[in-house]
Amino acid sequence: MTVIDREPSGDSAPTLSVPVVDSPPGDQAVGWRHRHLLDVDVLSLADLELVMRTTDAMREVLARPIAKVPALRGRNVTILFYEASTRTRISFEVAAKNLSADVVNIATATSSVTKGESLVDTVKTVEALGAQLLVIRHAVSGAPALAAEVFSGSVLNGGDGWHAHPTQALLDLYTIRASLAGPDGSLAGRKVVILGDVLHSRVARSNIWTLTAAGADLWLCGPATLVRGFEAWALRGAAGRRFTVTSSVDDALRDADVVMALRIQKERMATGLLPSLREYSARYGLTRERLAMARPGALVMHPGPMNEGVEIAPDVAAGVQSRIEEQVRNGVAVRMALLYLLAGVRS
Amino acid sequence: MTVAEGALVGSVVADLEISRAWLVDPASGREGPGEIVVTDGVLEALTWLDADEAGGIDDRGVIVVPGLVDLHVHLREPGDEDAETLASGLAAAAHGGFTTVCAMPNTTPALDDPAVLVRMRGAAASSGSPVRVLAWGAITAGRSGDTLAALGELADAGVAGFSDDGVGVQSASLVRNALAYAGALGLPIVEHAEDASQTPGAEANDGYVATVLGLRGWPAAAEEAAVARDLALLAEVVRDVPGARLHLTHISTAGSLDLIRRAKAAGLPVTCDVTPHHLALTDEWLAGARRWAWEASGDPWANEREAIVAAPYASSLRVNPPLRSPADAAACREALLDETADAIATDHAPHTSVDKDVEFGLAANGISGLETALSVVLAMVDAGLVPLARVIEALTSGPARVLGSAWGDSRQPGFVEGAPADLVLIDRSASWTVEANGLASRGKNTPLLGRELPGRVLLTVAGGRFAYEAAD
Repeated sequence: MTVIDREPSGDSAPTLSVPVVDSPPGDQAVGWRHRHLLDVDVLSLADLELVMRTTDAMREVLARPIAKVPALRGRNVTILFYEASTRTRISFEVAAKNLSADVVNIATATSSVTKGESLVDTVKTVEALGAQLLVIRHAVSGAPALAAEVFSGSVLNGGDGWHAHPTQALLDLYTIRASLAGPDGSLAGRKVVILGDVLHSRVARSNIWTLTAAGADLWLCGPATLVRGFEAWALRGAAGRRFTVTSSVDDALRDADVVMALRIQKERMATGLLPSLREYSARYGLTRERLAMARPGALVMHPGPMNEGVEIAPDVAAGVQSRIEEQVRNGVAVRMALLYLLAGVRS
Repeated sequence: MTVAEGALVGSVVADLEISRAWLVDPASGREGPGEIVVTDGVLEALTWLDADEAGGIDDRGVIVVPGLVDLHVHLREPGDEDAETLASGLAAAAHGGFTTVCAMPNTTPALDDPAVLVRMRGAAASSGSPVRVLAWGAITAGRSGDTLAALGELADAGVAGFSDDGVGVQSASLVRNALAYAGALGLPIVEHAEDASQTPGAEANDGYVATVLGLRGWPAAAEEAAVARDLALLAEVVRDVPGARLHLTHISTAGSLDLIRRAKAAGLPVTCDVTPHHLALTDEWLAGARRWAWEASGDPWANEREAIVAAPYASSLRVNPPLRSPADAAACREALLDETADAIATDHAPHTSVDKDVEFGLAANGISGLETALSVVLAMVDAGLVPLARVIEALTSGPARVLGSAWGDSRQPGFVEGAPADLVLIDRSASWTVEANGLASRGKNTPLLGRELPGRVLLTVAGGRFAYEAAD
């Protein structure tokens, strides 16, 4: 990760404030050099800081009586989702509309192959229809990279396969920092646990890069079948930054500052990865009793959608420690920030 | 060197004198400075030069080797002519220095019937190419894995052996029967070793790179389990059918090669091949690294991503079996050195852009390899990892031995005075850049596009006829 320059980031990153995001992005967004955001592994600490500060500014916009700025007026944001999603798609749509962008929504449950038109052709078509910023979600890992090869504007990855979910990782980082960061924004000394189906999770993969970059003591925990392969990654580290993988939920949760539960999908039983949802819930479900092993007041998070009663107990999801609704709110602000930053890059 | 001007593909090499070149002749185990004279298609004279005549000739300039032999190509005809035809595939072979290729039977329809072979031979003949085409027949009817194909009829029609390549035969009892039945016919079973129960939807070598990229893992054990099973079956079958032979193609893992090494030591009649891409490329390339396997660390993200120079998820890298770790590539080289690997085979798998220029996980498996194989292997030689003579052997007499009776006793691999000339001139001091429009194959699906490779084929002569001549 080039990427993580260890310089104090506060000096170089521009301090963005409300007046800035009120106007179209341009030279103000100096410091942001990525034309696309396909993965978080390329983000430097300065990049992360810039996203966090821009998100602060967007939170201020959202707090206004009329939560709308003209920053992206006249810009076309096309949201192309090849995978079923409600919250993420709407979050992007709301974010783009809050910035006064023209929004085109294309949702298709079918893959490009069954639809008969290739991803490359679809991307060229939406570009011809005026797309300037393309938000893409796809069930196949790496699909946004293919889109970026043929699209002349900017591609923002809205989640691809098991690979990456950059906006989720950034909203998670923002949410955790809001409660736990030190004065420098660092999460050093904070134990963050991602609990559940890590193997199939793009959320977990992206969070590995961003949370370790922020200095967190990151733990991945789940049944051995669902954390498979991550030991080898943990040994090398994310750009050398180590994290821990365990199947022991007790070791993971002990003295944790943050517990993020991941969705368990029913298909996992069919492929022999889990005996039953009941067994998963009994051994790994985030219950009040288990949460008591964490630090008092530890944050409870979930990227959604939740299977309440499976990976997370309803009273925990709705409890005072839960930041789940806050994650959704921050999701809009983070997506506004990223659309804004990407729109400021000259193609 | 003098070559008749205006040579046409397929025309007899009337008069060719190669003087002061470095000759490599694996059949006789000899290499050194020498001269070759071809007259009317026949290798009339071969002269090894004495040291005092050979000043300034070394193996870094123009070398002459016997025509290369590829045990494993997909020529797509009949049925998938958009991807390749016999004509384009044989032109690609000649461009790559190959004068004999063995086509896999996964055509449409599959080569499970002699009629398909007749059709292929007709297409090969009408192409005008002098490159020799041999064919593997299917092991199972329609390559379905259910029942044996007409092995005897296919043998009578002249197939070199049998393979369901593209998929492994999942039924062990069927493999047992195929080994026995084909063994009695004197022909090998060529196995694509893959336990499909471990590889549904698999995209990339199961390991660190796949984990980081979120690609479905393709375990080494999927290959090794199939290899171990096949070797156990062979050990039993060969007691009853001494002619039983097993050839394991495109072996890609260190574990598989260890199993084969031990089986050979125990005297089992097993052979195997490795591909140029498994020798020289690794799964690091999926992340956007482009360094050779012998330069790879296994961690493309290390040292501030310094190895990452290209976009990730290039679908040209999707191949079955997948590109493996640097340790596996090193094991393939080691197997080449100790002759656990008998041959280098390209697994030339051309695809159309429709099937390949799509999302990584939806892309067809395969690399178009005939035209880059020799150069990739020479890069490995240049790095000092495997001697030139050994790789040439693995591209000529090695595969000819695997073919056994199917090679044919009228021709021998190597330089044989009085036999039809079958040779390749290669300029090792020259390099070339792989470009789509420079490839004769219809399959432009190579991850090496844009890369400069060492070693340029100047001339390919197959069976005494011109197969390829460089433009300048």
